[in-house]
Amino acid sequence: MKAALIGAGQIARQHLTCMKGLPGVELVAICDLSPATAEAAAERYGIPAWFTDHRAMLEKARPDVVHVTTPPTSHFKLAMDSFEAGAHVIVEKPATSTFEELETLVRRAQAAERHLVEDYNYVFNHAPQQILQRIRSGQFGAVTHVEVLICLDILGPSGFADPNSPHPALTLAGGAIADFLPHLASLAHFFIGPHRTAQAVWAKRKPSLLPFDEFRALVDAERGTAALSFSSGSQPDAFWLRVYGEQMQATANIFETRLTFDGPRNVPKPLRPFFSGLEEGKTIRRAAVKTLLRKFKGPGAYEGLWELLTRTYRSLADRSSLPVTASDVLAVNRLVEALKPREQRPREQRS
Amino acid sequence: MRALVTGANGFLGRHVVAALLARGVDVRALVRPAARLDDLGWPSSLEVFRADLRTSHELAHSFDGVDVLIHLAAVVSGGEDAQFAGTVAGTERLLDAMATSGCRRLVLCSSFSVYDYSSTRRSLDESSPLHQVPEVYTRDGYTIAKWWQERLTRRFAEKYRWDLTVLRPGFIWGRDHGYLAALGQQFGRHHLVIGPLTRIPMTHVENCADVFGVAAVDPRARGQTLNVVDGPGERIWSYLSDHMRGSGQPGWRLPVPYWLAISMVRLAFATLFRRATKVPGILVPRRFESRLKPLRFENRRLQETLGWTPPLNYQQCLARTYGPAAARAAKG
Repeated sequence: MKAALIGAGQIARQHLTCMKGLPGVELVAICDLSPATAEAAAERYGIPAWFTDHRAMLEKARPDVVHVTTPPTSHFKLAMDSFEAGAHVIVEKPATSTFEELETLVRRAQAAERHLVEDYNYVFNHAPQQILQRIRSGQFGAVTHVEVLICLDILGPSGFADPNSPHPALTLAGGAIADFLPHLASLAHFFIGPHRTAQAVWAKRKPSLLPFDEFRALVDAERGTAALSFSSGSQPDAFWLRVYGEQMQATANIFETRLTFDGPRNVPKPLRPFFSGLEEGKTIRRAAVKTLLRKFKGPGAYEGLWELLTRTYRSLADRSSLPVTASDVLAVNRLVEALKPREQRPREQRS
Repeated sequence: MRALVTGANGFLGRHVVAALLARGVDVRALVRPAARLDDLGWPSSLEVFRADLRTSHELAHSFDGVDVLIHLAAVVSGGEDAQFAGTVAGTERLLDAMATSGCRRLVLCSSFSVYDYSSTRRSLDESSPLHQVPEVYTRDGYTIAKWWQERLTRRFAEKYRWDLTVLRPGFIWGRDHGYLAALGQQFGRHHLVIGPLTRIPMTHVENCADVFGVAAVDPRARGQTLNVVDGPGERIWSYLSDHMRGSGQPGWRLPVPYWLAISMVRLAFATLFRRATKVPGILVPRRFESRLKPLRFENRRLQETLGWTPPLNYQQCLARTYGPAAARAAKG
């Protein structure tokens, strides 16, 4: 299968490194507006052709799959043109700037009988997949509630709040936090299904270029509820996922490899917390070593992206059901849409 | 003569601006939009052009009336991709803008990091081998970005027939920049000194800036590629001693012979880290060599081409870096 990539920036490295190791996938072309960036990526990953015009690339390289890893506002046009050229599209999140664009994109994909896959990489990290596996096996019981909390300092001068070069995500409704909404929404979606209602609170606690730095939401979905949060004020950086089932509970820090389960035990009830604590301690110590070792090799916290790409290419090759379907993408983005702030600035900022 | 200086408010840039002004060159300083310039003591006659090479669309106007570009700007922190985007894609946008202007002369600040230390024997000079594709991509982000920046600039200069001077400084030191990567490995206040008698390819920031001043105005610099070091360099052990004394940061120094250290790094790499893809730079043999390999360094071509000798000797440089007069000197 011939693959090409548009946008050789930061996240492209993960896509390209993963694809180099995928059987049956041939990287045929890369495109970037900067010739040097495109050429350097082509040299580094042994890609035979590089372009600065994506249309020329689509025409000459005729890829079967196009990865779109440019800033979000350009995704729509690049994906539409890729469908036009007969390719499947794997697009970085957020897939589009607006829900209307996404609907247009999905319709175009269906008309062209091509697939649109949005990168929900954290859903495919080891921990969420382990929890989903236990849910499918029946051990966990039905999920009643999911909590996702991302603690990440996004106010530093070199990232989203760079005063010299505004980050592309700042053009999205909600600013930098909007860049993380697909992560929160996709995790909720894969555990409790399409949402019915959502209530969000957006706040700005610290002076910065960002419109918001704190976000909380409560979601009611078909199979349970979710509390989704983003905090730039809470340190250290962490990505907490807690899943509450009828028989078990799971806790994971997705930035690390920590994953613990707590459930029924064959011990007298008063002793359960004691044995649970011992086992949890052992699991966390093992995870600490694993987190350290993975710093030397592999994708680290991007393991989910590698897993998603591996499964997607496998499904495309044998024409089986994709790990992320068009209905998943629509449902996740309906929730993202419901979570977005009504105003781009907090109330006190506008007076 | 009017010079456009990128990175003009940086560690080297502010001294280059002073060196150009001292030669009667009009300076237009290209600085980032949010850069603070209050404490630089620049004269009101100095023009400031605010732009970010990564994103600004107005770069072409920065070349209005400019005779020579002194390109110092580079991103030296952040991840590999951020450095590439800032240094290489930024240079690409800058030189695209220059191509639309009447400016035909360019002085680039490259780096010693473009040299392949692993293939260099005994002495490193302008004829030493440079990194090659694909080996360069096994290097650190700074090296890849600086190597590409020079490669790109040479391509532009060839295509548009510009007069290019490439200056490759060694380790630039000065006030608040006394600690150099060549000194080994720091653990808190203590230092593992690898190859204590190795000489450091170093240039004091004011001496280095003086070379840029000369290169901007001296026609003999055109078409030249010159390494910039003040001389053969101080030995690691004695420089570290001066640095610790000057900065008032006492600590232990543990000397380790270079051959022992590189053998251990090679052994660890061949056994423990062979399959690892993300290893700290000091544990990768080739990166270790480019920081610490004992070679001889000299500035003979710089002397012969431009007749340059460093205006400040080592003791004067120490005084500028650590002495009470340093603050005044740094302001030019």
